Amino acid sequence: MKNKQGDVWIGDAQLANDPVYWQESNQEFHSLSMTDFLGEEEVSGGSSSRRDFLKYLGFGLGAATVAASCEIPVRKAIPYVVKPDAIVPGVATYYASSFVQGGDYCSILVKTREGRPIKIEGNSLSSVTRGGTSARVQAAVLSLYDTSRIAGPFRIRKGVIDKPASRNGKGPGWAVIDEEIRSSLKPGSRIRILAPTIQSPTTLQAITDFTVAFPQTKLLMYDAVSAAALIQANEACFGQAVVPDYHFEKAACIVSFEADFLGTWISPIEYAAKYVTNRRIHDVKKPSMSRHIQVESHISLTGSNADNRIQVKPSELGAAILALYNAVAGLSGLPAQNGPSLPAAKARKIKALATELFQHKGESLVVSGSNNLGEQTLVNAINVLLGNYGQTLDFQHASLQRKGLDSAVNGLIDEMARGEVDALFLMEGANPAWDIPRAAEFVRAAAKVPLKVSFATVPNESTALCDFVTPTNHFLESWGDAEPKRGHFSLMQPAISPLFDTRQAEVSLLTWAGSNKIPAGAEQPAMDYLMANWETQVFPKQARFAGFRAFWEHCLHDGIFENPVSGNAPVFAFAGDVSKAASQVRKPEASGLEISFFETVNMGNGQYANNPWLAELADPVARTSWGNYLAVPVTWNGGNRFSSLNNLNPREIYGEADIVDLSINGRSKPVTAVRQFGLLKDTVALALGYGRSVTGYMGKALGNEVGVNVYPWLSLDEQGNTRYYAAQAQVSEPVAKEDLFACVQYHHAMGVTGKDPETGETLNVDEKTSMALGSGYQGGIVDRSIIYKASLNELPELVHHIEEKRTEAAKLNSKTLYPIDEYTDHQFSQGHWWAMHVDLNACIGCGACSVACMAENNVPVVGKREVGRHHEMSWLRIDRYFFGKYENPNTVYQPMMCQHCDNAPCENVCPVAATPHSSEGLNQMTYNRCIGTRYCANNCPYKVRRFNWLDYTKADLFAVNEPQVNGESLPFGADNLTRMVLNPDVTVRSRGVIEKCSFCVQRIQEGKLTAKKEGRALQDNDVRTACQTACPTGAIVFGDRNNAQGDLTRKLDNPLNYIVLEEIGVRSSVNYTAKVINREESLDA
Amino acid sequence: MSAPVSALREPLITGQKTYHAITEDICSPTEKTPTTAWVIAFICAVSGLALYVFSVTWTIWVGIGSWNLNRTINWGWDITNFVWWVGIGHAGTLISAILLLFRQKWRTGVNRAAEAMTIFAVICAGQFPLIHMGRIWLGFFILPYPNTRGPLWVNFNSPLLWDVFAISTYLTVSILFWYTGLVPDFATVRDRAKGLRRKIYNFVSFGWTGSAKHWQRWESLSLVLAGLATPLVLSVHTIVSFDFATSVIPGWHTTIFPPYFVAGAIFSGFAMVQTLMLTTRKVLKLEDYITLEHIDSMNKVILATGSIVGVAYLTELFIAWYSGYIYEQFAFYNRVMGPYFWSYIGMMGCNVLSPQIFWSKRMRRNLFVTFLMSIFVNIGMWFERFVIIATTLARDYLPTSWSYYSPTWVEVCIFIGTLGLFSTCYLIFIRVAPVVAVAEVKGILKNGGDQYVGPKANQSHH
Repeated sequence: MKNKQGDVWIGDAQLANDPVYWQESNQEFHSLSMTDFLGEEEVSGGSSSRRDFLKYLGFGLGAATVAASCEIPVRKAIPYVVKPDAIVPGVATYYASSFVQGGDYCSILVKTREGRPIKIEGNSLSSVTRGGTSARVQAAVLSLYDTSRIAGPFRIRKGVIDKPASRNGKGPGWAVIDEEIRSSLKPGSRIRILAPTIQSPTTLQAITDFTVAFPQTKLLMYDAVSAAALIQANEACFGQAVVPDYHFEKAACIVSFEADFLGTWISPIEYAAKYVTNRRIHDVKKPSMSRHIQVESHISLTGSNADNRIQVKPSELGAAILALYNAVAGLSGLPAQNGPSLPAAKARKIKALATELFQHKGESLVVSGSNNLGEQTLVNAINVLLGNYGQTLDFQHASLQRKGLDSAVNGLIDEMARGEVDALFLMEGANPAWDIPRAAEFVRAAAKVPLKVSFATVPNESTALCDFVTPTNHFLESWGDAEPKRGHFSLMQPAISPLFDTRQAEVSLLTWAGSNKIPAGAEQPAMDYLMANWETQVFPKQARFAGFRAFWEHCLHDGIFENPVSGNAPVFAFAGDVSKAASQVRKPEASGLEISFFETVNMGNGQYANNPWLAELADPVARTSWGNYLAVPVTWNGGNRFSSLNNLNPREIYGEADIVDLSINGRSKPVTAVRQFGLLKDTVALALGYGRSVTGYMGKALGNEVGVNVYPWLSLDEQGNTRYYAAQAQVSEPVAKEDLFACVQYHHAMGVTGKDPETGETLNVDEKTSMALGSGYQGGIVDRSIIYKASLNELPELVHHIEEKRTEAAKLNSKTLYPIDEYTDHQFSQGHWWAMHVDLNACIGCGACSVACMAENNVPVVGKREVGRHHEMSWLRIDRYFFGKYENPNTVYQPMMCQHCDNAPCENVCPVAATPHSSEGLNQMTYNRCIGTRYCANNCPYKVRRFNWLDYTKADLFAVNEPQVNGESLPFGADNLTRMVLNPDVTVRSRGVIEKCSFCVQRIQEGKLTAKKEGRALQDNDVRTACQTACPTGAIVFGDRNNAQGDLTRKLDNPLNYIVLEEIGVRSSVNYTAKVINREESLDA
Repeated sequence: MSAPVSALREPLITGQKTYHAITEDICSPTEKTPTTAWVIAFICAVSGLALYVFSVTWTIWVGIGSWNLNRTINWGWDITNFVWWVGIGHAGTLISAILLLFRQKWRTGVNRAAEAMTIFAVICAGQFPLIHMGRIWLGFFILPYPNTRGPLWVNFNSPLLWDVFAISTYLTVSILFWYTGLVPDFATVRDRAKGLRRKIYNFVSFGWTGSAKHWQRWESLSLVLAGLATPLVLSVHTIVSFDFATSVIPGWHTTIFPPYFVAGAIFSGFAMVQTLMLTTRKVLKLEDYITLEHIDSMNKVILATGSIVGVAYLTELFIAWYSGYIYEQFAFYNRVMGPYFWSYIGMMGCNVLSPQIFWSKRMRRNLFVTFLMSIFVNIGMWFERFVIIATTLARDYLPTSWSYYSPTWVEVCIFIGTLGLFSTCYLIFIRVAPVVAVAEVKGILKNGGDQYVGPKANQSHH
């Protein structure tokens, strides 16, 4: 008997300390195996063993089922105790803000859902960007959720960020890092702050305030794709070190020397909108449009939109500008300047160009993207001679979007090499270890700088050299401002709290300076500082608001504050030295292969490398994605044979490409070739901004090593400015085959003609060479009712032609067994009948709509291998067709999306009715019903249906088929951070289903509800598709055909309108306006 | 029953067979240990089947992205193989149903194997519409079953749905027809067997006793099924051709497709029958039952259907030109001279030119030539489907979407795998069932045996 006094016992077995009792009572569950149990039953001879077996079976199954399903995912949805006013679940909130990345600017509205920014729209209140956007702006929201973002302040040792591996691991913390940096700085420290163009007056003010504590501080700005010569020339000629305000809308004749002002140059969104005002055909009876002549080597986006292109070799551009100056001077009765001269044939064209310009004195505009001081000076002189200042360009609202000088960064390298720099701060966007010609020198000189701090949000080549990284916020998390043009202010406000432990660079600088302008313990120091700065700097510029608070709230709501100067622009006297300029222009090379380096609309100077939306967006002209490809000229040898430089890519129509060694100045790298119309013989071209080597720190990042880095091939000219071309390039014979040729469209044309050298006959070139045997059928391609185009002087013929073809199509379509007209009248006359209009004269092919569509509709990114297999998922693509003379063709861009046919061929072939037609004329896609037979995609004449070949959205249960986009360690989209960008209104599609453009059905639904709530009829403005809002030129208009007063209905009433492939009777809902060019034949001679 | 003696009629059974000898010859392969040739063939076939299982699993696991199809060419080897296999099936039905109705006695030697071939080919064909689906696990959506989704029915306008009905009907009727024929023969095997085999064959022969009533019912059922199967010969491939003909894609949208597909199907089916029969008669020593007369007759059918197909090809080209419709014209120029020109050459060479050799009787009766031709025709007919499907899709209306396609290893392995599936089924079939219809051959012995008909009739009659 062993029992402690006071214990409770339940029986004598317990009191007796029976070991069997203790054993059993210590077991929480009475264990008896099933077989034993059944055995006992059998031993007992009971007749109920089968019943019991079934009972246990039932229990077992039930228990297994419960056990299998009992792990319910933890849902962290917690209702608001006090709901913030701005957040209504399911309803989007928009914040006006600004997109600022170095010199790129756009006034935007950020769409947030449940606190997450998911989409960027243009802000139509801005008179700079007028509600337009670019591909880069559209894609910026994805950069917010970049998995490579630096999660907090860190030390960097030997190029490796000193932090725990996991993203949420603890670093040293701001206090520690701040102290370490501050202790390295002395009041006399020679601090250099290197930045791309800073458009923000507040950031500049913060740097000024920082300079108070450290008077030896210097701010140095440079742009990786430089406009330094332009700024220098304007300073020299007019005392204005800025980019002028260009009025493309006022120019009747535009001449551009290598300035890609529609795609990448200075302020493309602004320029595109202005340019297009004079390019639309408003009245076919009295047509008028501007004439645009591009003088360039590589066919840029702007050049492809030009009426005429005068082709010169890259080294001849200076001579071409000088020739134009001399010709204009001659017409103005001024003496010619001595300098390099052009070959006779090209000189003749330039002369004709001068005559053309002179006829439009005061309403012409000459621009140049050249980075040569002499050339820019001459361009200014030409504009002066033509009386364009004060008319088509002025300095009143000069652009402040490019401020960088190449001398700034080059001088810095020299200073650093001499050991005269104590501390170097690299602002976000500055990557001098990679994006300048002297990058290697920078890397060497950086070793002599004791303190190097990077503000980068994402690791880059320069961050790796630094001692500390103190990441700034993404612009969607930041308070800030911008002054893109004089008198045009733009506010930036956060749409989300910082996702990581980051801090705005301004606050960091002021903290290190110990400035009293940021009070200790302030919750939002950046906002306080910004407001204070606006109160002192911006508020006094206006008279409308008496109190700052009201002014501030007004500006914050609108996102902008514009204070344009009224009255005529002051004209500055021209003080440029023309003869010196003539001697400074680049010298033409007598012979040899020349290469031009250009910026693309998607990759910029390389800062967008980590953005897969931009990497996947096909280049508008070359139609390649995921890398830069060496554009090689194509020549037609008559008959059925094209040849190209070194006969590269002979089997491009089979999707095969060659890799060659490109060698310049003894540096050789392998690059993949792509054939390109419109390049002169002996010229090639390669894009800047590709081939980044450090874009992340968590294993291999998806921006790493996409394409080839061309910066080491760049050089400086005599004035110290970067030269974006090289002579004496060598292209080897093919050294390998490219197995991932990511080209979405080969060099197909739509009526590119040329003279057969043997017979002298004018033949359709592309069509002949698309055959493998024999020659093709003349007209088999060119007579397709896909593209209608004409010159301005042939407009009546074009109208007649379209009318004829449409009548014929209507006749063909009337031969039907089905009373489709009766059905249509009955079906679609009741409510809405959605349709779209695309003006091919307004479409410049920039790709903003394509990226907007990806963002809005959760279109997956597939990566290079998949694009190479033609698995791209774009719902909206921009088809590019060349026409005209094959040596120097014109281009037409055709946005192609689901045409929402009212007699859709995809609908009736689906065995499971997964793609039905709505009563409002929409062709709908029911993903849940789709079993993936792909018959609909086969039967789509426009080939706009996309199939989820693999698990592109990373949504499958098993990760086995998650394709990597670029060999990155964490597949893109697999991380929850990336998935935050998804639009909750649009289903994420699984593998094995078809998807396609839905005309943004979620936006239609939203618009209908808005109208209904407000108790009124729906207007066209209630529903605007993502592509429509993104377009900088308003080329796309969406609306209700039944709304007689709608925007769309007005657009539909145009004799130049047509429907693609109308004669096959599918009744497409998308109308296109035919392309009209204003080509001057005399310039071809 | 007196024998109709004809000196002109070629005998269909040689070797002066008695009824017992026929039973012996045909039933014995199912009773003996398999030959080495069979074992090797079976190992190869099962390896192919394993390859099939592996590559299909891979496809389902990874997704259709394991194939090289793309946004322009959404069908490639998958549907090519589907149509090819369906086509092959047609000869069996034609031989058993139409030739039965036409009282063609030579059919008896080959109909059993041809019917088996039909079934196995249709089984192979039926794989492709399933595995080419993006979401095979939801494939049941394609069946019009009562459901709670509205109910949501299938789309009766879709040719793919017609395919489902056509193929499943075809498979059902073919199996019934084939099995009906097998019942008395299984009974024959049963009567010779002992033990478990006897029980099994008794079960599968439904306890056949050979009573006059049984025979009468069997005859009636055969005729009824033949009547049912006959329209299927025409309808199945017509419906398969609708997969293409009802589309809007130039090169597919063609009214000639139904007859042209049916002719092509019979053409390829007979070629496959030749391939199988020439091997089977050699391996199982059935030369007396599948004679040169049979082979000659089938070669005549190949020549006729091959020429029909040839005329269809030329008609297509003519109509493309005559229509004045540029898309159609381009589609056919592209077929002949585009990047897939080699498949057009393969199709024309194998299907139209090479069978012309059969105008010569000597060639029709040459076993080696026949075998070679049967392979050629099979290749040619595969090319025909590839030309129609891939070449057409590769270049349709918008030149910007043009593409080119070549298969991945997965697609090739699936095709090879279906050959394995087919061979496995066929090899098992020749081991377990009489490969020639015993009862029917016996039925024509008196008017088709060499002791009764032909130039050498009655010479050694005993």
